[in-house]
Amino acid sequence: MKTDNHFKSLSLSVIWAWMFLFALLPFCLVIIASLMSHNESDLITLPTTLANYQHLNNSTYIRIFEKSFVIAGISTLLCLIIGYPFAYIIARMQSRWKSFLLLLVIIPFWTSSLIRSYALIAIIKAKGILNSLLIAFGIIDQPLAILFTNYAVMIGLIYNLLPFMILPIMTNVERLDQRLIDAAKDLGANRFTTFRKIIIPLTMPGIIAGSILVFLPAMTIFYIPDILGGAKSIMLGNLIQNQFLISQNWPMGSAFSAVLTLILVTLILVHVWVTRGNKKREWL
Amino acid sequence: MNTTTLRNSTYLSLIYLFFYIPIIVLIVYSFNNTTFSLVWHGFTWRWYVDLFSDGDLWIATWHSFFLGIASATGATFLGMLTAVSLYRYRFPGRNFLNGLIFILILSPEIVTGAALLILFTFFHLPLGFMSLLLAHICFCIPFVIVTTYSRLISFDKNIFEAAKDLGASDFIIMIRIILPLLSPALFASWLLSFTLSLDDVIISYFVSGPEFQILPLQIYSMVRSGIKPEINALCSVLFCVTVTMVVLAQLALRKKT
Amino acid sequence: MKYLVSAFLIFLLTPFAAQADDKVLNVYAWTTEVPDFVVHMFEKETGIKVNFSTYDNNEIMYAKIRTTKKSGYDVIMPSSYFVDRMARQHLLEKLDKSKLPNWKNINPSFLNPAYDPKSEYSTPYIWGITGIFYNDQYYKSGELKKWSDLWDARFYNKLMLLDDTREVFSMALLRLGYTANDHNPEHIKEAYIKLKDLLKNVKVFSTGTAVSIMIDEDATVGMAWNGDTFRASRENKNIHFIFPEEGFVIWVDNFAIPKNAPHKEAAYQFIDFVLRADIAKEVAVSTNFPTANLAGFKLLPDSIRNDPTVYPPKEVMRHAQFQTDLGDDTLALYEKYWEELKMSD
Repeated sequence: MKTDNHFKSLSLSVIWAWMFLFALLPFCLVIIASLMSHNESDLITLPTTLANYQHLNNSTYIRIFEKSFVIAGISTLLCLIIGYPFAYIIARMQSRWKSFLLLLVIIPFWTSSLIRSYALIAIIKAKGILNSLLIAFGIIDQPLAILFTNYAVMIGLIYNLLPFMILPIMTNVERLDQRLIDAAKDLGANRFTTFRKIIIPLTMPGIIAGSILVFLPAMTIFYIPDILGGAKSIMLGNLIQNQFLISQNWPMGSAFSAVLTLILVTLILVHVWVTRGNKKREWL
Repeated sequence: MNTTTLRNSTYLSLIYLFFYIPIIVLIVYSFNNTTFSLVWHGFTWRWYVDLFSDGDLWIATWHSFFLGIASATGATFLGMLTAVSLYRYRFPGRNFLNGLIFILILSPEIVTGAALLILFTFFHLPLGFMSLLLAHICFCIPFVIVTTYSRLISFDKNIFEAAKDLGASDFIIMIRIILPLLSPALFASWLLSFTLSLDDVIISYFVSGPEFQILPLQIYSMVRSGIKPEINALCSVLFCVTVTMVVLAQLALRKKT
Repeated sequence: MKYLVSAFLIFLLTPFAAQADDKVLNVYAWTTEVPDFVVHMFEKETGIKVNFSTYDNNEIMYAKIRTTKKSGYDVIMPSSYFVDRMARQHLLEKLDKSKLPNWKNINPSFLNPAYDPKSEYSTPYIWGITGIFYNDQYYKSGELKKWSDLWDARFYNKLMLLDDTREVFSMALLRLGYTANDHNPEHIKEAYIKLKDLLKNVKVFSTGTAVSIMIDEDATVGMAWNGDTFRASRENKNIHFIFPEEGFVIWVDNFAIPKNAPHKEAAYQFIDFVLRADIAKEVAVSTNFPTANLAGFKLLPDSIRNDPTVYPPKEVMRHAQFQTDLGDDTLALYEKYWEELKMSD
């Protein structure tokens, strides 16, 4: 029993030490900063004030938030639709090529995402590869205007975040017990029902994990709307970036961050509350 | 069954194509005989020539890889420890810890970067490799935790009961039962963390020091004046090297079995 | 296993290897504005090892230097109004001109500018002008003369604008006859209203991909830097630049030494090196950016020296306005309008 406690206390101490230094402290800094002011000589200074939060109640900011939410949401959904089957197929493969195939998914992402975004531009721009091919085959007359629109932004987001959806789902699908699926079949369920009633609920933790890992970055990424979207509208990531860098208003930027965190945490809590009857909520 | 396999293979191929077409474009364009245009202008080797005489870029690349490996390993270790503890133990502040993890993922990079810089300045930590390493582990850990935990909760808790009944200590359970069962998730988490670390720009900007150059910062700095195909050449070389290594590893493993 | 650990530790510690003072220099600059060969030449001549770190916008460099007063950098490259701001916040060293014998090579027009009235803190290096570019396959030369021309309906969804708050607002302010460094909230609001009108003509905001956008004709007209336009014109002969009649903004990238720089002597040596006429000429030829170094300018080949896009004649330069610092509050106002502008469609 003694060794038990040792291991447990050691683990917990290490974890708490790390979390305190690198999660709690920075977080407290952000909260404190959001309640402070700033001036020409100091980035963050007294007096404390709620003004930053009051300024948030602004129709422009709300629209920016909504727009980011919608684009991130659609991108996440598409990632799920595209990524789930992929994760499912690979996870269920018996072959020893499995980890190789997994690595093949990841390797492109070890290339700088900026350079890959430029490659995407080279493909979708007016004189780009896609349009040149389509025109050459006579499918269209005029080049498609994809670049510098919201579609380009979503393509960019999906392209960059898809592995974050695939990996968690994969690790989850691997745990799927084939016997449950067989049992369902024996009981007369068709493939669709089996999928809906057995597979989806059992892989829900993976789906949620993947969605979180995609949705959250999608909300705050800033260079994709800039490069692929032509910077014609501001998303949340750009907004916060601007507060920190251009306006040099760190308290305001911190306030944005705090509110964003609060809203998303609330959403997650709502989800937890709604699914509280469901056993699988023990995920959270 | 054949149609299923055919359908599966087609789907897999399409997705791989989706991932790889931009890479192929990237490689092809590294031979593009133009400095700034993104349209094809003819074939040339000059970017590769430029690349191989540019020592600084290679040093930065090596630094990034080293940092990535170190961060991924550190993050996977700490993240795994956290996920397992969250799963197995009930301790005061457990929910709070949960919340902290989410907050880490939710924080925009610039906020994390700025906060960490303030923290490091306060503790008089000189900016350089250490500050980068700590920062990278910091933002990778939540991804590890989320990935690992989602696999943990599909475990059958009875296994642990049985092991405990047989007299195994927590440590043994950890090593003999949890780790092996978790290894795919750990592998996936390591890969995710490595990917995140290799590409991080904003946080690295804030906490990097003058003596440890990393690649993403060099690349982003070229954005203002236009990215030259020399970078494409670099990315192509890196890509080919990694793919070769992975293929060789796979072949080596095959020989073993 | 042991060897692996030792190797790992050695690698870990190498970055910490203490380097002899003043045989090291930490430069923090725009990578594309200081060519590699210049750095290597400096290293060879002086034996000082240069660690070259890069950033891609002034704001992030400023944020870092401001937060950690001991950033470890010896030489930085702030643009015009950042010199103003950083000097006022006591982040820069006053330059000891006695250590810069090549100071005399600087073009006098760039000395004592509005953002550094006694040229105490900054060494002008490279400059640029924001004006209008157009592609003569689509528009005749002579059609475009002023900023206000861009508001014309035939440019619907054709324009490229720089993705920079101040540059875009400067355009509107200049069009309205105000200064590009306007503090007056009324004027700024007027500029905002004018810009809202312009939005439907804008196809893309960009700073980084500007050159490729011009060359590949993703946008055929708009706002750009003269240096970028010159470089684009070398790959696409149809691209031209004009200096708007109402006036235009001129920015200057300078070398400066932050306070608490650990290797000041090396810093002075580097700056003096870059001020050499031959070095300035090489930089200008290699980067295609206009140089602020008169002695270097004189050594340039005629094709570049006489190009009016890169080196406009004096009468044109009279309309140039240096960017000065606006102060946090005014900047916040600009930023607020910028956000509303971008969300107003």
